[in-house]
Amino acid sequence: MVKILDKEIPNQLKELTVQQFEDITSIHAQQDLDAIEKHLKVFELFGITENDFEHTTIEQFKTYVKDFNNIKGKPELQSTIELDGYKYTAFEGEEFKLSVRDTKHIEKVMNSRHKGYISEMLAILFKRDDLSKSEHYDTTHIKHKSKMIRELKSELAVPYLVEIGQKLSKEIKRNEAPEIVE
Amino acid sequence: MKLPKSWSEIDVLQFKEIRELYSIEEVFAREIEILSALAGVSSDELEDLDVSEVSNMLNDITFINSEPSKNYKRDIEQWKVKPLSKLTCGEFIDLEYFFANDYIKHLCHIASIMYRQHTTNEWGQLSFEPYEFNPFDRHELFDEYCINDIYGIIPEYLSFRQDFMDKYHLLFNEEDGDEEDDNKPMTSDESKAQAEQKSAVKWGWERLLYSLCNEDLTKFKQVTDLPLILTFNMLSMKKELNL
Repeated sequence: MVKILDKEIPNQLKELTVQQFEDITSIHAQQDLDAIEKHLKVFELFGITENDFEHTTIEQFKTYVKDFNNIKGKPELQSTIELDGYKYTAFEGEEFKLSVRDTKHIEKVMNSRHKGYISEMLAILFKRDDLSKSEHYDTTHIKHKSKMIRELKSELAVPYLVEIGQKLSKEIKRNEAPEIVE
Repeated sequence: MKLPKSWSEIDVLQFKEIRELYSIEEVFAREIEILSALAGVSSDELEDLDVSEVSNMLNDITFINSEPSKNYKRDIEQWKVKPLSKLTCGEFIDLEYFFANDYIKHLCHIASIMYRQHTTNEWGQLSFEPYEFNPFDRHELFDEYCINDIYGIIPEYLSFRQDFMDKYHLLFNEEDGDEEDDNKPMTSDESKAQAEQKSAVKWGWERLLYSLCNEDLTKFKQVTDLPLILTFNMLSMKKELNL
């Protein structure tokens, strides 16, 4: 937790929910906002409004931002989670493997750039042990699961975001159909 | 899984299939579909694999990001490329249609107009079969040729077309209209003129042929069989002399 003005707000990955993390990510992705506007909006998420900073100097504001962004520790990949009494598994064994099928679904979700894409990406990765493939990838099931995942802590999501980002940037080379050069 | 190593192992049908897959927006999904088309396996089979395994296969097919060879074969079996300078009006109009409506999709239709059966006449001159067939009936004959053998006709025609359009630009550049003014409110006369212009563009070739055959449809075939260059020279002359 971090103290901003006189209020304690969550800032560590084990404190923020996936939904809060998605909200923060979404604010930072808004290109029409400048850096200060983005941080004001982030603080607003936690109940601190722009008016509350009326008497705050720019130096003090910068310190608040720095404190908020000071993330400690590096969470590990969790291969299983439990939701509503069901066990969900993202990968077996020691090493995280990304299947072609999951990647295709994740790519689609990421391309849609909607606010809840992180929880949806996790919903694709974590599979209920007792369900078939078609049941697992069913859109309604994924939406339902991502809704539950949104309530979990963001320490679950961040290592996967890093891992998938690395894998995709390494594996996928953008290709375009060559234009005819006369 | 056997993968082709270059365009020389790909036929026209596969090439068209691959190019159609470029409409898939997601890069990875598109690559998997292309891989599946080239390997002749269903994408379902590939989807169970790990991304890194597929990545090695994708590295083997990077040739698809380049163009096939432009050095096309002038003779393939019974076919010979008809020189573009000898095109007739009818052939040119049909080629224009196929080029304007996705020339990759219509590659075989284009090939069926450009590759023709031929014979040598009693004077030892090369003579091409007349354009009395429908490219829609013949296009499948070109599906199984190697893409490297015929792909080059596309850039060749585009280059010919550019020269042709430049040479006869006075006949093609008729009041293009100003795109910037598109959103400005128009008077009723202006919108009527715009509608007429759109209609003229829509019926461009038909209107030209209709005028060339002096509004006598029984002469239509005679006009479409006329040499393209001769026809456009005459049209240029008519325009310049205001005839």
